[in-house]
Amino acid sequence: MVDVDKFIPTENITLFRSCLVSAEYPGVEASTKFVFDKLGVEYVIDRNQSCCTGLGHYYDIFDELSTTALAARNFSYAIRNNHKQYVPMCATCYAILKTSAKILNEKDDVREEINKAFRENGLEEFQYNKGDIDPRDDITHVVDVLYYLKDKIPEFKKRDISNLTIATHHGCHYCKVHYNDTLCGYRNPEIIDKICEVMEAPALQWYDHKPRHCGSGFRQRYANRELSLDATVDKFESLHKEKVDVLLVMCPNCQLQFDRYEQVLEDMTGDKHYFAVMNIAQLVALYMGADPYKVLGIQTHTVNVEPLLDKLGIEYDSTEDTLHVRNE
Amino acid sequence: MDYGCVILKKLGRREMTNESEDDLAHKILKDIKAPSDLGLLRCVQCGLCTSMCPASRHSEYDAREIIKRVLDNDESIIEDEIIWNCFYCYTCHSVCPVGNSVCEVNQILRQMAIDKDVGKKQIESFMSFADSFLEEGLGIIPKEYHGQLKIDYGKHWENLQENLQEVREELGLDSMFLLPEAKESVDKTLDAIGFKKRVDSIKEVRNRK
Repeated sequence: MVDVDKFIPTENITLFRSCLVSAEYPGVEASTKFVFDKLGVEYVIDRNQSCCTGLGHYYDIFDELSTTALAARNFSYAIRNNHKQYVPMCATCYAILKTSAKILNEKDDVREEINKAFRENGLEEFQYNKGDIDPRDDITHVVDVLYYLKDKIPEFKKRDISNLTIATHHGCHYCKVHYNDTLCGYRNPEIIDKICEVMEAPALQWYDHKPRHCGSGFRQRYANRELSLDATVDKFESLHKEKVDVLLVMCPNCQLQFDRYEQVLEDMTGDKHYFAVMNIAQLVALYMGADPYKVLGIQTHTVNVEPLLDKLGIEYDSTEDTLHVRNE
Repeated sequence: MDYGCVILKKLGRREMTNESEDDLAHKILKDIKAPSDLGLLRCVQCGLCTSMCPASRHSEYDAREIIKRVLDNDESIIEDEIIWNCFYCYTCHSVCPVGNSVCEVNQILRQMAIDKDVGKKQIESFMSFADSFLEEGLGIIPKEYHGQLKIDYGKHWENLQENLQEVREELGLDSMFLLPEAKESVDKTLDAIGFKKRVDSIKEVRNRK
């Protein structure tokens, strides 16, 4: 196992569900489960868990106190379940949970205000004790776990993916919010690259704007669409220049920005070049032999992933995708 | 004019006079969102934040200027639309040499704006997110924007919305919804902590339009 300076769990994990993964790219959840099962990672999913509030938090709808109270509620379930290792699939969940744990541990007045609200409303079971959750060691992203176990990944190789040109896009809220907890760098992030290396499918070492964000900007994508897309174009053009086959992400918000908007971005820039957008867990699952529709869930992607499968010589039955509109 | 000299003079003034603790910078430092080690008062206006900032690259927003106005105790910034251009990408936060975070200062400024009507007007179009959270304990893409999204994402996305349950079943996934008792306790938590009141006050401004 890889030597890292923070604790990475392989058991007692609650796989923390993400609203965008659930509703937009559910194959990310199925792929993560597929890969964790192969690697022998022990985890549960808990339907008592609420969303982290992340998107609403950064739309400024949720105030910090409400977000932190919901985190305390979620932490209490994970602790009672003996699965207090929270492993989110989304960079926003990851950062929100860490921030909430820090506030609960460090700000005595806030913790007491939240506990008092719980006590006075018959919700005593959700009370948080200082130190219940260690923000560094008890909250890790799925990529942290994959990186930690990366040397085991080739044991489950079923498909050769070495002929792909790969670019990696690391979620800002994984790299930049709690940057002291980020593995493999945050100014030139490389954790996804290191996972690709063990699959003999090295990613581009560098491309213009590599450490830049996706452009979604939470409210900007919706309330300030042009500003959002202008920012996305920076990276989009660079990816075209490098003629990548696939952009690998670790956050559903980034996935949405590049996948759902690919046609819009092409129209804006007049630049045509195909590339697929996948979460790293989906690519690892594909490498391990997972079904493109029943595990990766590629039918939920706006940009077809089938041309990538063609390049890899992977057979599939495209009639399994009933969501895309086909010109028969 | 030697700009660096002006900055140093300003910084010196701040240190020496130990300005009142109720100026804008100190209000920000006392906010629930401010980490205990936020380096706001240590800002030397080096501009590294602006140099890396996507909002500064693509709009009139200037990350360094945000901090300058805060340190100048310019409270008009709270009502200035420019604060709504930050992407919350935390790039400025991750490169700041003195541990300041324009991104987090911006989040606090927006909450100060939301305490007034001016900020509530900026976020009322996201209220379907709050409604979904109160009903289901789940976040959603705000319904208010679905019209444009249907144009941008195409028919495939509509098909996905309509067939989501089926797709999740094909993937062997459990229901995405919370257990009924869990929904109830999320609702109780949000009531107890004051979130429902906050939502009502934002909707009240929306409905006044």
